Amino acid sequence: MTEVIDVKRSILEANEAEAARLRAESTSRLVVNLISSPGSGKTTLLEATVRAMSSRFSIGVIEGDIATERDAMRLRALGVPAYQILTGGACHLDARQIRKAMQEARFPTNLDFLFIENVGNLICPTSYDLGEDFKVVVLSVTEGEDKPFKYPAIFSRASVCVLSKVDLLPHVSFDLDAVRGQVASLHPCGRLLLTSARTGEGIAEWCSMLEGALLQKRFVTR
Amino acid sequence: MHELSIASEIYRVAREAVAQYGPGRVETVRVAVGELRAIEPDLLKFAWEALVTGSPDQSSYLDVMWCPAKQYCEQCAAEKRREPGSWLALCPDCQHPLRIEGGMELDLLQVTYLTEDEIREAGQPAQAGAEPAAEISRD
Repeated sequence: MTEVIDVKRSILEANEAEAARLRAESTSRLVVNLISSPGSGKTTLLEATVRAMSSRFSIGVIEGDIATERDAMRLRALGVPAYQILTGGACHLDARQIRKAMQEARFPTNLDFLFIENVGNLICPTSYDLGEDFKVVVLSVTEGEDKPFKYPAIFSRASVCVLSKVDLLPHVSFDLDAVRGQVASLHPCGRLLLTSARTGEGIAEWCSMLEGALLQKRFVTR
Repeated sequence: MHELSIASEIYRVAREAVAQYGPGRVETVRVAVGELRAIEPDLLKFAWEALVTGSPDQSSYLDVMWCPAKQYCEQCAAEKRREPGSWLALCPDCQHPLRIEGGMELDLLQVTYLTEDEIREAGQPAQAGAEPAAEISRD
């Protein structure tokens, strides 16, 4: 006779518990988890963000990559503390790695923004809560307009979709309205922002969205 | 390929559930996986086999209950049918925006196991059963 145990437990409960602790500890800073495919411009967007905001806000960055410290070095060159997680081959970050990064990075205690740049991958990072306030998915216009429906998990979960490299729109076939429709269908309250870190288009709107979210969090938390 | 990480979490939670009742050998583990979890059931089963091989639970079976997301139209007050793996941009009947329901499941539902006595009765040498499989925590 086989014994049967009915359980109803979340499979990722260990990760979720750690993410909940991280979230509880970050009441005064806004934590953003950036997810995209490789090469969509996450680091370049962060560079533009740092240039626009670091004189008024304290910013920290956690970079997740399979190999090299290149991304962290790019941000350190702009004067912000950046901690590099090297996953060695793993396709995503999890909350335990963020805990370790927070212990080792020695970010300033008055951090306003913590950006976590996930490993470039539209699939695996979706499953792991890192204790962020919200996920941002970055999609470059060179990747094609079919991506939201092809990767519904991340586009239904990310409350902000940043369309990057929009300066290239005249040169590529990219149906902006189709993307708007797909994003709205997967996340009806999600925001779509059009940006180009190269020309600066949309960066002010992106930054004011971040500022607004930080103020709202501090106001709501207190 | 994050399915191996997910499989090792399933195994950990399933082992914990059995351990509450004493030593035993896991037979089947039933999990619910939602469509919007970015987890591929076949890869998950494959990862499970790799994970339990060489452990006391190596004959165990992972049963994946696939939970599709549903697209619902508020205006028609009805679920709208779609082809598996495709999405509707708007309601095909009234063009109203749709709401997604479900698809976020990622739960351990049920574990079946044999107790030490049952393993002995079956004529197989009793194993401690609590020995974890080779630790593979990351991809």
